[in-house]
Amino acid sequence: MDAAEVEFLAEKELGDLGPFNPGLPVEVPLWLAINLKQRQKCRLLPPEWMDVEKLEKVRDHERKKDTFTPMPSPYYMELTKLLLNHASDNIPKADEIRTLVKDMWDTRIAKLRVSADSFVRQQEAHAELDNLTLMEINTSGAFLTQALNHMYKLRTNLQPSESAQSQDF
Amino acid sequence: MTEELDLMGQDSDGGSEEVVLTPAELIERLEQAWMNEKFAPELLESKSEIVECVMEQLEHMEENLRRVKKEDLKVSIHRMEMERIRYVLSSYLRCRLTKIEKFFPHILEKEKTRPEGEPASLSPEEFAFAKDYLKNVALKHMPPNLQKVDLLRSVPKPDLDSYVFLRVRERQENILVEPETDEQRDYVIDLEEGSQHLIRYKTIAPLVASGAVQLI
Repeated sequence: MDAAEVEFLAEKELGDLGPFNPGLPVEVPLWLAINLKQRQKCRLLPPEWMDVEKLEKVRDHERKKDTFTPMPSPYYMELTKLLLNHASDNIPKADEIRTLVKDMWDTRIAKLRVSADSFVRQQEAHAELDNLTLMEINTSGAFLTQALNHMYKLRTNLQPSESAQSQDF
Repeated sequence: MTEELDLMGQDSDGGSEEVVLTPAELIERLEQAWMNEKFAPELLESKSEIVECVMEQLEHMEENLRRVKKEDLKVSIHRMEMERIRYVLSSYLRCRLTKIEKFFPHILEKEKTRPEGEPASLSPEEFAFAKDYLKNVALKHMPPNLQKVDLLRSVPKPDLDSYVFLRVRERQENILVEPETDEQRDYVIDLEEGSQHLIRYKTIAPLVASGAVQLI
């Protein structure tokens, strides 16, 4: 799954925009909100968590902990990117928000690299990764699963196997 | 958006599903099937009922749009929604065709030896495609003395030991995790609802088929 497809799923998130009837906020999927905004038919209201103070708390918490902390939205990365690219005029302190979210992303991806490394080294068979978002999993996941698959094949080919499986490198 | 269309209570024709799905639920099911198919190393059970219902729904939407006055904004919004649905549907079908081409002798063999009552991995159209692929693509370019048995041996099988990421929809207990090395032992884990895991596909394949977990 590439980043565009994860973004496709993120676009289904519902957000507020106003107005259809002037002044009244309406909840619609993000893909629609962005399209209407591009046609200059509405104003987007940022989600509640897209606030400098709140994000600072989340970022600091993420930096302190070794594990992955819950994110304000399973699509925090995509939502930030889409909203800041298309509606930064509707979002207060857009630049600070961009930096904060990038910090959070970088911290988490670094943690993911460390966990992936130890997973492969210790030849674990299973890992639980509850607070990871889809975008994080898809960014690093393909490499990790391919590495694990190759290592498994190399390991099992050292021992004579019962079934003569053809190898798919 | 889809609440505006009079499609509530649409039943799936001829499918094993007797549940009535709202349009939103139907699209949700399609997206789940799409993601599962993308990440599963093997071809999954054919979800023809969902595919047929989605195509019917797209036709309904097309008809409704033709009836509606030429109101630019509403029409283009519905068209966008339809394009999004079409994208998922065609991506899903293409993913399946790619796997059929990749593993065609094993898929055809599995279909031939499928026990009664077990759901098919291929829709009738996909089955025709697979047989045609064998005849017109694979065998056509092979030396004349190549038999089908050799194809089964030389074409790689899907690697069911591949690692996959999943999210748990229904709690599962006592899933066996096989060790990677000889020094490690088997152990069992419980899969809590809403949790996410990285694990080998083989262990959890039946859970994907039953809908208890979602590949991500």
